[in-house]
Amino acid sequence: MATTVNFMKSKMKTKTIMQIAVYAAVCLAILLLPLYAQDDFLLNRIARYLVLAMVAMALSLSWGYAGILNLGQAMSFGIGSYCMAMALKLRTVPVHTGTEGLPDFMVWNNVETLPWFWKPFYSMPFALLAGLLIPALIACILGWFMFRGRVTGVFVAIITLAAMIVLSLLIIDQQQYTGGFNGITDLAQLELFGIVFDAYSSNTYFLVAISLTVCLFLALALTKTKGGLILQAIRDQESRVRYFGYDVALYQTAVFGVSAAIAGLAGMLYTVVMEFASPTFLSVQLSLSIVIWCAVGGRQSLLGAMLGAILVAGMQGALSESEVFLESWTLIMGGLFVLIVLFLPNGLASLVDIAAERFRRRQHDATTQDEPAPSAELSEGKL
Amino acid sequence: MDFVLQQFITGLSIGSILLLVALGLSIIYGSMGVINMAHGEFIMLGAYGAWALREFVGLTLFPSLIFIFIAVGLIGALIELGVIRHLYRRTLDTILATWGIGVMLQQIVRLAAGGDLRYVQMPPSLASSVSILGVSVSAYRVFIVIAVAALFLVTWLLINRTSIGMRLRAVVQDPSIASSFGIDAGRVRTMTFAYGAGLAGLAGALVAPLKSVSPEMGTGYVVDAFFVVVLGGVQSLFGTVASSFILGQLSGVLAYWQNDTIAKALVLLIIVVLIRFRPQGLFVTRVRT
Repeated sequence: MATTVNFMKSKMKTKTIMQIAVYAAVCLAILLLPLYAQDDFLLNRIARYLVLAMVAMALSLSWGYAGILNLGQAMSFGIGSYCMAMALKLRTVPVHTGTEGLPDFMVWNNVETLPWFWKPFYSMPFALLAGLLIPALIACILGWFMFRGRVTGVFVAIITLAAMIVLSLLIIDQQQYTGGFNGITDLAQLELFGIVFDAYSSNTYFLVAISLTVCLFLALALTKTKGGLILQAIRDQESRVRYFGYDVALYQTAVFGVSAAIAGLAGMLYTVVMEFASPTFLSVQLSLSIVIWCAVGGRQSLLGAMLGAILVAGMQGALSESEVFLESWTLIMGGLFVLIVLFLPNGLASLVDIAAERFRRRQHDATTQDEPAPSAELSEGKL
Repeated sequence: MDFVLQQFITGLSIGSILLLVALGLSIIYGSMGVINMAHGEFIMLGAYGAWALREFVGLTLFPSLIFIFIAVGLIGALIELGVIRHLYRRTLDTILATWGIGVMLQQIVRLAAGGDLRYVQMPPSLASSVSILGVSVSAYRVFIVIAVAALFLVTWLLINRTSIGMRLRAVVQDPSIASSFGIDAGRVRTMTFAYGAGLAGLAGALVAPLKSVSPEMGTGYVVDAFFVVVLGGVQSLFGTVASSFILGQLSGVLAYWQNDTIAKALVLLIIVVLIRFRPQGLFVTRVRT
């Protein structure tokens, strides 16, 4: 018995090391990319995909690891992006901002003074913190509200979706303070520690790539902690974890908040990359797309979700540009997606597991030793 | 008094459209647990059906309804056979698969009919307005309220008073026992899905004269219908009626008090709170499990 446990432990350890190696290799590739692609326009576009990859990764943390299907992930993303946009808007040259430094759309809407909730955004550190903490705080309140009532499954999906729609409706409605449908445009460039982050520069690319790497490894570390294991247990058998005496709602709320904070950061970066913020950043469309990326890449794999986003968003970008597919790319994406849901429920990442399983079995057949066969649960481990 | 009545009728009109679009979804979700995100696209197909039959065949709205019901129902049956059938064990994944289907349907229509807005003519006999206790109401909206009531009655009778409905109820309660009594559970599900899709098609055709028809029109409806069904309670047709009535009245009152957008936001907030405290829905019929 003890040897079996040891065997399993060592197996898990090699698995973790393998996993870290793969994650590091992908991140390294992302960081080294500008060596080969020096076109600023291309870099900007890839940076955009990387930001989307970050949101998908954040969703994988809450959906894949904790079973919380958040259909309102774009809410956190949108809040982050508006926080950044507000800060950058206040930094534009006064000519663009009308009298006494008011943002132009406020002037057009006959707003006389800067509303109180805009004022703190003169400070960049405040804006950066707000972009992280406001989404996290809202998610925690929403999460506490839902999970204390033991709301699960579809109902989580509905509540998060409804919450996001409420916020986007408010943003669209309060045009004089938020820019309404047009969003917040004509932004200054982000400047941190004396470095200017022009959207079309390798600076911005590295900012995005490094943020993504850091978040990815933080999230990975989180899944390896005891809390991460408990979350996975909650995903698989919520009531059993509750009977063990764990505070299920607390864990769910926490991961919901962390996921929202990462999405908020991604939102801030998105504003820097796109040079505007708009209500489409918290639309049902985007929110569903995030879910799709996760599902295609593999919801139970942080890296899988990330690559899924890059792959799908990248393909969308590429296909919609070519003449042949201009009209039909959505059709192809839709069909592909249905096929993946049907035949690869754990996304493309599960292909790696399937291949590994095949390989292991072949090896096992070749060396007919009487070592304990890997248990089914273990071999189902996710990349 | 006139004002209260006017408000009530506005609310009733909103509620009847909500019920119209939610009825098909309610049946599919209630009996199979499938969250059909392509429901909005079925509605859109119905609306385009009405437009195309008028444009190319010259049929007016009423005779087209039969063809639309059958055609959209058939599409629904095909989708059930091809995709949904394989997902009954993972119902949460149906959200994803049906969304993919919805995207495809939307794009197919966009390719076939173009992305422009289309308009469906109101039947001339209903284009006028009638007066109810001194309040003038569009005749077409009155017609919709009556049509919805009739559709609901038919559906209720079908489920509760026919042998087909009995089979459906048996499959909902326990598929394996139902099968052991010789009920073809797969066929019952296909037919149910087809019926739900057909209803969505009818809904689309009926709302088409009130709104403009575009490939994206379904998205808004599916979200609203989703809320109505969950609020009403799964497996409860009367719950769906009650919740669409309540949401209709609520939207009417709040829209008068504030503007449309704020009303919508408030209604959603109320839904969130209600679902949190009654996730089983406002009205639940007890089903033995």
